[in-house]
Amino acid sequence: MFDTFVPREVHGQPSSRRTDDLKQAYLQAPLMIDIEYLRRLTDSHRRTDGMEVLERRAEDHAFALEGLTPVIHPGERIVGHKTRFLRGAIPYANYAAGPFLREMRQQEQDAQQKHISLGEGGGVAHARTAAALGDFEVFSGKFLISRPELAELADLCEFWEDRCLMAVGDRLWKRDFPDAQSIENGWTVGLYTAPHEPCPEGRIVLDFRTALSRGYLAVIADLEARIADFRPGGPEGPDLHFWRAGVRVLRGALTFAARYAAEARRLAAVESAPVRRAELLQMAEACEHVPAHPPRNFREAVQSFWFTYVLGHLEGAHLGYSPGRLDQTLWPYYRDDPTATPAQAVELAEELFVKMTRIEYVASMSWQGLGHGNLYQNLILGGLTADGHPADNALSQAFLQAQINLQMTQPTLSVWWHPSLSDAFCRKAVECVKTGVGYPAFFNLETYLRHEARTTGLPLETLRENAAMGGCTEPTLEGMSYGVVQAGFVNHGKLLDLTMHDGLDPVTGVRMFEPTHPATYAEVVASFQAKMHHAVRSWQQYWNYVMLAHRQTVPLVFCSVFVRDCVGRGRCMDDGGAVNNRTPTTLSSGLVNVSNSLAAIRKVVFEDGACTLNELRDALSADWQGYESLRKRFVAAPKWGNDDDVADGVFLDLYDDYVTWCAGQRNYLGEPYDPSMLAISTPVPFGKACGAFPDGRRAGQPLADGVTSPFPGTDVHGPTAVIRSSSKVDHTRIRGGLLNLKFHPTAIEGDSGANNLLALIRTYFEGPGFHVQFNVVDSQMLRDAQAHPDRYRDLVVRVAGFSAYWVEMSKALQDQVIWRTEHAQC
Amino acid sequence: MLTGVVFDIQPFAVHDGPGIRTQVFLKGCPLRCAWCCNPESHAAAPELRHHRARCHTCFQCAAACPSHAIEQGADGLPRIDRRACAQCATHACIDACPNDALAMCGTRMTPDEVVAAVLKDAAFYRNSGGGVTFSGGEPLAQPAFLEACLRGCREAGIATAVSTTGYTTPEVLDAIEPLVDLFLFDLKLADTAQHAFWTGVGNEPVFRSLATLASRCPEKLVLRLPLVPGATDAPQNLATLVDRLTELGLGAVQVAPYHGLGADKYADFGRAPPMSPPPPDAPAVRAATVALRRRIDAR
Ligand code: SF4
Ligand code: SF4
Repeated sequence: MFDTFVPREVHGQPSSRRTDDLKQAYLQAPLMIDIEYLRRLTDSHRRTDGMEVLERRAEDHAFALEGLTPVIHPGERIVGHKTRFLRGAIPYANYAAGPFLREMRQQEQDAQQKHISLGEGGGVAHARTAAALGDFEVFSGKFLISRPELAELADLCEFWEDRCLMAVGDRLWKRDFPDAQSIENGWTVGLYTAPHEPCPEGRIVLDFRTALSRGYLAVIADLEARIADFRPGGPEGPDLHFWRAGVRVLRGALTFAARYAAEARRLAAVESAPVRRAELLQMAEACEHVPAHPPRNFREAVQSFWFTYVLGHLEGAHLGYSPGRLDQTLWPYYRDDPTATPAQAVELAEELFVKMTRIEYVASMSWQGLGHGNLYQNLILGGLTADGHPADNALSQAFLQAQINLQMTQPTLSVWWHPSLSDAFCRKAVECVKTGVGYPAFFNLETYLRHEARTTGLPLETLRENAAMGGCTEPTLEGMSYGVVQAGFVNHGKLLDLTMHDGLDPVTGVRMFEPTHPATYAEVVASFQAKMHHAVRSWQQYWNYVMLAHRQTVPLVFCSVFVRDCVGRGRCMDDGGAVNNRTPTTLSSGLVNVSNSLAAIRKVVFEDGACTLNELRDALSADWQGYESLRKRFVAAPKWGNDDDVADGVFLDLYDDYVTWCAGQRNYLGEPYDPSMLAISTPVPFGKACGAFPDGRRAGQPLADGVTSPFPGTDVHGPTAVIRSSSKVDHTRIRGGLLNLKFHPTAIEGDSGANNLLALIRTYFEGPGFHVQFNVVDSQMLRDAQAHPDRYRDLVVRVAGFSAYWVEMSKALQDQVIWRTEHAQC
Repeated sequence: MLTGVVFDIQPFAVHDGPGIRTQVFLKGCPLRCAWCCNPESHAAAPELRHHRARCHTCFQCAAACPSHAIEQGADGLPRIDRRACAQCATHACIDACPNDALAMCGTRMTPDEVVAAVLKDAAFYRNSGGGVTFSGGEPLAQPAFLEACLRGCREAGIATAVSTTGYTTPEVLDAIEPLVDLFLFDLKLADTAQHAFWTGVGNEPVFRSLATLASRCPEKLVLRLPLVPGATDAPQNLATLVDRLTELGLGAVQVAPYHGLGADKYADFGRAPPMSPPPPDAPAVRAATVALRRRIDAR
């Protein structure tokens, strides 16, 4: 009742001086390119010509691991990192060298910048400042690299230019895929995300539980026993090379750990502070013990997890590579360690979070723009145990507390929601939401279990135990799933453009489809669907070529060792070694704009007869200029997100057609493709590539965010109506989904606010929805809302005594709310 | 057929009553509190709102109006002849405006329509302990309509709240009270002359209603006081209010600071804002709260 302008109710602090320092060091660090891994990998590759593919890959990776400089940063207690720097990225030229070469030739930057804008602040600014000072160059817009290393990188990239995944893939599909031209045209018009540079892989969670509980030496012994028992016996049997490759790569991994142990001992010897010296010795002991053996205490378990995590991360140009259910993986070690305390767990979690955030990703400018540097390392908490009991524990709360305290951008923190989770855990999750960091996102476990039971047929116990999140909002079964999955998107908005202009792209003038002259509403819908079918099928087939090239160039050996049942089957993931090979998804975004547009066409053109399709096309070509009153009619037509059965029905029909069609195609391993819809940042570049739409959207504007999130400004009945619309979708039919809701802090303040937020989640998931995440508004967002009121039609702001839609408030009142939101922040 | 005038239905209302609620705003109020931030709630009949902030002064509205009710005012913006509008059947100006600057405030609805709108969020009420809140205006000023709405909600198992000034007759209160789970009851001034000065009406009906509810169902009462500098915040007023509440056996009062943020809405309805003193600062609010609590605790 009193101060109704509280900005963000919860604002945490790092739990210790140590983690505060680690966070500050991260914030001050420039983004660096580190070529050490690539250099060693390439050295090995030059020497291993003629070796069998898997063994060569293992040899190259292991050789690289054995030579990486072990760097222990001040204050760290958990060690091991991908690069030598506080914030570093590895340029994986073995995946895609071409884009780096183009980048170095300063071409791509100019070509791509028209579609993508990168961030400017923080580490990006540090990199630019440092570059201005000395012997560094700025690379790929935001990274620093020393001049000599840049020259060396150019050599390395030239070596890989014809050998990398991308080049090998291009030689496959560009020559023999009949639809190759439509893929290339699709890139030109913005129908698809950029080519597969550099990664079709990463939405994977390794079997950390096995890695920890057995230790690498036991796994090596297992592999060696299998090798000894192996007798050649036909193409269907196990692949000896995979087992041999596995042994090689694990031995390299143990050397990697041993080098950290040695470095810790070296630092201890020269350390003057006794406390830190003892710490370093303890760290050395840990690194001498894990990951070779099972951890002896909680801290060693965290170290062991982190080694396996980094080693898997090093192997590939992953995006979406995730720690999975870390509260479950680490739980037995925490529970059985009499010295482990909640405070220790929180502090270690904070350190892990800083470490995850430090991992940077360098790719083409276009992918960086899409991901905004985010690696989508998803840590998911809660859920159920194999036998169906709520799985949340003290560690689950410690991870939430760490995020409340630190507010790092990584990991992407999620909750597997189930009605049986403890009240304390749910409240902690809401407290975290109230920091405004946007985490955790809530996922409905039951919805996913139903999806997975239907597609994989695996027992319910297995599904419950392994349900995790691989990437931003796409679930996977951890430790048992094929992790080479496509990462490209189909732009539904562009398909709408092509439908409205009868096959011709209105932006570039490229003809993608022959004209079909639709004249009725049904024909318009059919025209869209035919284009979507063609675009999706071509895209899926193109990706199958990429995955074939992946098998030939960069199969994942280390990761496969820790994915069941590759070892048992004697096959790497690329050869179908995983238990679950239905992971590859077909991704798309923008369907809400399509359904809003089709609903508007049905109403305004075919029911009201207010204009013809040709007149509408003229209006769209003119970006609605001079057609304002016509645009008003299209804007006023029913829209998704208002619980309007007519508008929602159009979406549901399109959705149904999309998921049915996707699942009708086969992935590289011969399993049906799983339909999915995600968004990451695609709505912005996809929207930029599109002309004006019949839903009233103007050319170049972003598309609707998320999957079932309404187009900004078109949901005018509040969050409960959005949820009711979204609940009509059968979320069990796709893997993934996304609903964003925005709240002013006052809408969820206090205990009653927490109750209401939980009630909102519960109601949506009874729907049953799949995913929801919350944006708590800050003054910066309010300013944006002032500048772009059309995108914030749904934002309700509480002004003492009454709540108001932001857009309904006068400028003066808005200013006052901004002022007070800001004022209370300091 | 029984209808009422509703000027807004807000889903996900979380500040007026427990849980997630839908707030139904009934149009029309017998009071004219000088600090009112909802001028759209005053008149009982639907009326045209001109969102001045959105207006681009193109005067397409004036061209479209069949009764020539719009002309340019001294400030350059459209000036609307409200009396002509009250008879209007077409509202042609609204369609004509390219900037959504004109809209009707107030819709005639049947109780069934209101109940249907409220029921859409039933699942949210169930999970949050929420329900429906009728406010205004003064919802008791449309007694038959309110009663039918409340009854419909009750029959559908929805918890009900009414946000009221208490300004009504005993008969209306008797009819409504059994259908209501919670009264959000706004107190203002203990002295009736003062009350008449600031709100346009004396406070006898208010305290009569309060006494009835206090004796019949004190557990249903949540008392609130808008803290308006120079009006309700006088120590004398706070003291007398507490005395009268004590006589009725009532306790805690929530303080709602006046904020003056509705003032610029008045012009949208062709009216001048009656008063806009600076809002109370945080210490003043705290002081009043403490003063009220101390007095109540002392009893
Ligand atoms: S038509 Fe709309 S924008 Fe134009 S003068 Fe009238 S109210 Fe203002
Ligand atoms: S409501 Fe009717 S009378 Fe009033 S301005 Fe509009 S068109 Fe004219």
